[in-house]
Order: sequence, then structure tokens, then C-alpha cells
Amino acid sequence: MSKKIYFLVQNRMYGDGVRSALGQAVENHYAYPVFMYGEFPRFSEYMLENISWIKDMEGDVLTMGADAPEGVDVELTPVTLEELGERLREADVIIPYGLPKQKKAPPPACAE
Amino acid sequence: MSEEKMKILQVYRSEPTEDVKKLVEILNRDRDASEFKLYTSNPNYDMLVQMIFEADQTVSWW
Amino acid sequence: MSADPNKLGIFVTSPQHMSHVLGVAQAAVRAGKKVMVFFTYKAIHLTKSPDFVKLANLCDVEDLAICADSYTCEGYDPETDIPRGLVPRQMRTQAFHGAVLEECGKYLVL
Repeated sequence: MSKKIYFLVQNRMYGDGVRSALGQAVENHYAYPVFMYGEFPRFSEYMLENISWIKDMEGDVLTMGADAPEGVDVELTPVTLEELGERLREADVIIPYGLPKQKKAPPPACAE
Repeated sequence: MSEEKMKILQVYRSEPTEDVKKLVEILNRDRDASEFKLYTSNPNYDMLVQMIFEADQTVSWW
Repeated sequence: MSADPNKLGIFVTSPQHMSHVLGVAQAAVRAGKKVMVFFTYKAIHLTKSPDFVKLANLCDVEDLAICADSYTCEGYDPETDIPRGLVPRQMRTQAFHGAVLEECGKYLVL
């Protein structure tokens, strides 16, 4: 049976949650990665393709708390915290992915 | 006939933020909710496993 | 195939909770349950922890795997540096996570 699976990403290093979500989309589940607080990964061609595939397979990619960065050709569905909570009530599986949000801004060595 | 409430278990790997608390509040609404803190010094894993198997759904926050 | 109500799936996405992974898996086995574990992305670094071998000894070969692509992305060699406790066929893809979701009646993210 197809499940609704949410991958919550709130750490800039864990955009890999999108790849993991795509992995479940191809297993016939409905996959919903959620970027929180503007903690976006680098939108490489690979990342953009994965986002596109997830949408093609009846999933969606959400953003909570920030707009998609300017200059990147990607459409993310904005949700508020409350809307996210209501959507999670409908989820079969909720995956708070990777590490929590960092408090400290990244140093130049890893900021790009 | 009354519908049985969904049993949901909230597991915290670290102290929950205000936003996590809000999401949990929404998720727990009209449900039979319990919680387990993993960020204590000696978590009782036997109890956690028992709670997971009693719950319909487990959410393990960061 | 329907999910086994006595099987706990653990999806490991954080690189800092090996003691929880092992503690939960040991407790599940004590309770007479089966465990199925998949490590992905940066959590694959936990395969270098001494506790990982203990976990591998608790699980059937078919019930423990890591994401081979993640292992490669993090700089390890998936052919010549297979983690202690694993055999080559436990180096898998995200499809293994799909199997965890399908086979396990209970599910925990760590």
C-alpha cells in the first residue's frame, strides 16, 4: 500500500533527504521532502532533477519558513508551521531527517 | 460505536524546540499521545521498545 | 507482503546516535522482536564504531544494510572497505528503506 512519507530537513548539510525521498517515490509511495527555515541544499542539476521526479510521481517538495532562493529555477510549495502540522497528521511516516538546525552560521570553509 | 483513538508516540532525541512542540501539539490533537525522551543520561530502551510496539505511529524528532 | 507486527524497522539518518541504535535493537531482541536496520547518508560513518559489529551480530544478514552510494559519497570504497560485520550484499540502495517500510510493523528514525 502506498504511504505518505514526509522527510523533514532543517540542516543545510542534509539536503540528501530529497534523494532518500525520491527513493521512496520510486517504490510507489508519496514522498514529501520539506525544507525548513531556508536551510536549502545547493540546487545542483542532480538536486533539481530529483525534485522534478518527486513531483512527477505525485509527491511534492515543500518549504516552511523561507522562500526558495532567488535565481534558482525551482518551485517549492510554501507552508506555514501550522499547515505543516496539519499535513503531518495525514502522514503515514514522518522522518525528521539527519541533524537539527545549526545555531552557528557556517564558516567560509563550508559556506558555499 | 466510538472510534478508537490513534496511539501516537513522540520520541525526542534532543530537547524539543518551540516549533517541534507546536508540531507535536497538532499531531497529538484528539489522539492518545505519549512521549519518550532519549536525551537523558540512561534511557530505558526496554521501555521505549514496549512503547513503540504499543503505539500505532512513532515520530522521532531530531 | 504485509508488515510483520513483531518487527521493528530502524532508519538511521543521524551520525550521532549509535548508542541509541544498539540500545533499541538489543532491547527489541530481548523483547522477542526482530529488527531491520538501514543506515543512510552521513549515518554510514557509524559503521566505523565498535558498536556497529555488535549490531551486526544481532541482525540477520537480510535485515541490516547501509546505503552503498552514501558510503561512496562520504569517501569510503564500497568494494575494498566493506564495514566490519557486513558482507557485500548488505551494501544496498534506498530500496532497502522501502523494504523496511514494507516488512516492519513498527518503525523508528534515529
